[in-house]
This record gives sequence, structure tokens and C-alpha cells, in this order.
Amino acid sequence: MIEYFSKVFRGAWATVAGMMVTLKYMVKPSVTVHYPTEKLVPFERFRGALLFDPGTCISCNLCVKACPSTCITLENATIPDPKNPAIKKKVAKVDWYTIDFGKCNFCRLCEESCPTKPKSVWHSLDYEVVFFSRDEMVRCWKAGTKFVGQYWDRKEKAFKDPEGQIQIQDVQARR
Amino acid sequence: MNKGAMAPDQEQDTPLKSDSMFINLGPQHPSTHGVLRVGLTIDGEMITKAVPDVGYLHRGTSKLAEVRGYHHCVVLTDRWDYVSAMPNNLVFCLAAERLMGLNVPPRGDVLRVLMCELNRIASHLLFFGTYGIDIGAFTPFLYAFREREMILDLFEMVSGARLTYNYIRLGGVMVDVTDEWVAKCREFIEYFKPRLDEYDTLLTYNPIFMARTEKVGLIPPQTAVNWGLSGPNLRGSGVNYDVRKADPYCGYEQYDFEIPLGKTGSCWDRYFCRVSEMRQSVRIVLQALDKLAPGPVMAPGVAKVPKPQPGEAYAHVEGARGDLGIFLVSDGQASPYRMHVKAPSFMNLAILQELLVGNKVSDVIAILGSTDIVLGEVDR
Repeated sequence: MIEYFSKVFRGAWATVAGMMVTLKYMVKPSVTVHYPTEKLVPFERFRGALLFDPGTCISCNLCVKACPSTCITLENATIPDPKNPAIKKKVAKVDWYTIDFGKCNFCRLCEESCPTKPKSVWHSLDYEVVFFSRDEMVRCWKAGTKFVGQYWDRKEKAFKDPEGQIQIQDVQARR
Repeated sequence: MNKGAMAPDQEQDTPLKSDSMFINLGPQHPSTHGVLRVGLTIDGEMITKAVPDVGYLHRGTSKLAEVRGYHHCVVLTDRWDYVSAMPNNLVFCLAAERLMGLNVPPRGDVLRVLMCELNRIASHLLFFGTYGIDIGAFTPFLYAFREREMILDLFEMVSGARLTYNYIRLGGVMVDVTDEWVAKCREFIEYFKPRLDEYDTLLTYNPIFMARTEKVGLIPPQTAVNWGLSGPNLRGSGVNYDVRKADPYCGYEQYDFEIPLGKTGSCWDRYFCRVSEMRQSVRIVLQALDKLAPGPVMAPGVAKVPKPQPGEAYAHVEGARGDLGIFLVSDGQASPYRMHVKAPSFMNLAILQELLVGNKVSDVIAILGSTDIVLGEVDR
């Protein structure tokens, strides 16, 4: 009988003690953010979606070799040889550059291997990389393309700007 | 059921016989912590046979490593035990550094220890929260994730990722930490210490939680050794084996900490081992923060495409789940000839087929949760 009541008492006390902890945090400010309306800005070193600058790239292939999942491909730009126009000469410029975000590991190895200053390929703070189709996963860049790149829509046979990307700089910061 | 209700052809003195039934637990069960299927043969409420079925998350990373460079393999290691990826990075780097003969500078070693211990806290917090959910207590989960978020913020600040860090590299670590980071880390530890006592109030000494876990899923020490368990599952049975003490790496012999041990090997003991380990990790983190002396974090002369001498190397570390080992064979090429992973989760999972037999169906989740497996590491 005593054991029964002591059990009841211990169970009740545990509930009260647990509620004390909970009540203590009830009056403290909330630790969560209301995601779609409030957005967090990640830290400076955050590895978000990759951006690429076709203007500074020297087409050295180091990022292609550094990538563990071979998601980067690029092609050298060429100019016709002045002596013999039939021969195309490679120059240190990129003709086209693609990153397959379906394969990307977000590991920062390409950014680290990039020799140019400033980096031609780097991680942005964008953590809302959303895709509605597989076509959108493959980002393409050419001379004159914006950093965020374009994707090739196979149905409509046209390059398109990616949709649904947030501008993280416009978001109100929490930190 | 009283005797009058029995079928007339059934003998009165034999116990009630019922048909055995086969049920699938998983692979989509929310309490299996991933994609694990356990085929249970039950006789009434009692389990007569349990067959864990693994392989739903197999990505073939051991094979992939054979066609990837050594730097690329570190990225692959992140994906095994995604809840605590730092020890995964570390164990591969230790094995590869043995092959290449690289010496990590002291600050690099301290940072490695620091990150691994922070990650152990994060991993055990995840266990603490989800185990509460398994048993039926939801509140601790929210508190555990609040603290885990702070650790992930620390990792995000230093490495840029929240789960797949790729922070510990061949020859050292990716980048040095800033003074701001160190201050933030100290602030977190100061915040975290009193939280551990709250956890004890919420879950550890809660009578309902203790009643559900204290005498359930007993693993005798000999059985635990026979099945090759490691980590808190082994120490919950009272076997004092911790790689950090038995085979120190990264200068763990210079740190002052204890190995928490369980007594009976019940679910509660395994749980309590992890909660006590968090306290010990806090001690190690504080010591590591004091040890941080200025200096380089990366060994000089790490090749971009390392081609180590032909040979083999084995390294093991005490990950959050146990003794995580890597066996690397090099044939002088740019990628390993063979990489074998000795994953603690896989071995901790294997004992389920013996442990579950004889228990009630309602205890399956309690036992499964207490082994704290991560399916990414089981299947690799």
C-alpha cells in the first residue's frame, strides 16, 4: 500500500518537475523563426548553391578535377588562328560551363581549387535551391550570363532563368 | 480467457497456443530512424524471431572510393554517419595520413578533438531527443534540438555546412577557427552545462521512462563482446572499452576524462551512458579550448593528388556510435586500392536478432532506439 502511494507520488512529482522546466521556457523568447515570412541569413562561410562568373574564369579545369562527383563540365573558348583560319586556337576563357546540382555535394572543393582572384566559382548563401524538373538541375553559363546561370529547357528548346531562387541579401537578418 | 471458453479438442493442461504471425517493422516506420526493415515473427505479443533487413540506403561508398582520389573520399565519408560526420572525416584522414606519413600540427589535432567532441554531443542530443519520442515523451526532443541547433550553428560558422562538413582534411583541418568562434563555443558550453541537469529531470529519472527501459533489452557483458558491440552499447553492459583510452589518437591521452559505464546492460544503462558521455565531452571541449595555441592547422606539403606508397593502414576512432575503423590499401595510384569500413552501427544492429527474441512487441522500439543506429552507416 505504501509502495503504491509512493509510486503515485513519484509519478506526480516527476510530472510537476517536468512542467517546472517547461514553464521556465514559456516566458522566454521563442527560438524558432516563422520560415516563409522570416528567413535566416547563414554565416559567411556557408556552402549554398554554387555561383559562377564566366568573366574571370580562365578555364583551367582544376574545379573539374577537384569535384568528387564529376558534376562540373566546361569547354575552352577558341579563336581562329590568324595564320590558318581553319585551325581553332584555345584561349584562357570559358566557352560554356555547367554544374549539375543533381550531383553536387556542396563540399567546397571546387571553390578551394579555383586559382583566379576573385574566385570564378564560389558558394553563395542561397540555401533554397529548388528544382521543379531535372532540366533545371543543370545550370549553364556562357559569356555574359549572370552569376546564377541559366538552364536548358529541353521541351521548349531554350535557355531560361532559374525561378524560385531567393535573394538572400534582401532577407532580414537574425544574426 | 477462462477454461470454459476453450475449444473442446484442446487439452486442458497445455498452455494456450496461438498461430505465429509475421509482421514487418519498417522500412518506413518512423521509429526505425531511417530505412531499416525488421521482419518479426510474433507469437501473441512475444517475439520468437527477428530478422533485421538492411541495404535500403546502400550507396556503395567503399567501391566508389576505389575510383576517387583521396581528397574526394573525405567527401564520401560524410555520408556514412550523417548525424556525426566529423569522426568519419577523421578516421579516413588518420588512415590516409598513416599511408602518406603526414604529421598533423598540434593546433590541427586540438581542433580535430574539439570538433569530434562537439559532434558527439550533437549526436547524443539527437539520440536523447528521438529516444524520448520513441518512448512517448515529446518535450525533451524540442529542448535537445534547440541545443543541437547551436552546435550546428558552430559547425556552420567554421565549415559552412550543417551535416556534411568535409572539415577534417588530409594533413589537418580545412580552416582555422576565429576568436569569435572560440568565444561562441565557450558561451555555448556555459549555456549547455545546466541544460544537462534539466534533461535528467525531464527524462533520465522520470519514473515512466525508467519503468519502460530499466529492465528491458538486457545485454550481458559476454554477449556484448561476442557480438562485437562497441561504443555506448558495449559500455552500457559494463565493459570498459573506449578507443580514446585504449588506443589514443589525436592526443587524447592528454585530456582528462572518464568513461561512463553501465551496470546491467539495459536500455536505460545505454541511454545513461550517452547522457554521461555528453558531460565528459563538455569537459574535453573545455580542455581543448584551453589547449588552442596559435600555429598552423594544416601540415605543409599535402599533395593535390596524393599517391601514397603501396601499403596498407588501419585507423580507428571512437565515433559517437562506437569503434569506427577504416582499412585502406594503396597500390601507389591516385585512388585507394581498397577501402573497408568497420562501421559500429552495423555491428550494433546485428545483435537485434538475439536481443529482440523473447521481448514484447511494444518493447521493440525501446530496444531499437537504445542501440542508436544510423542507417547511413549500416549500409554505407
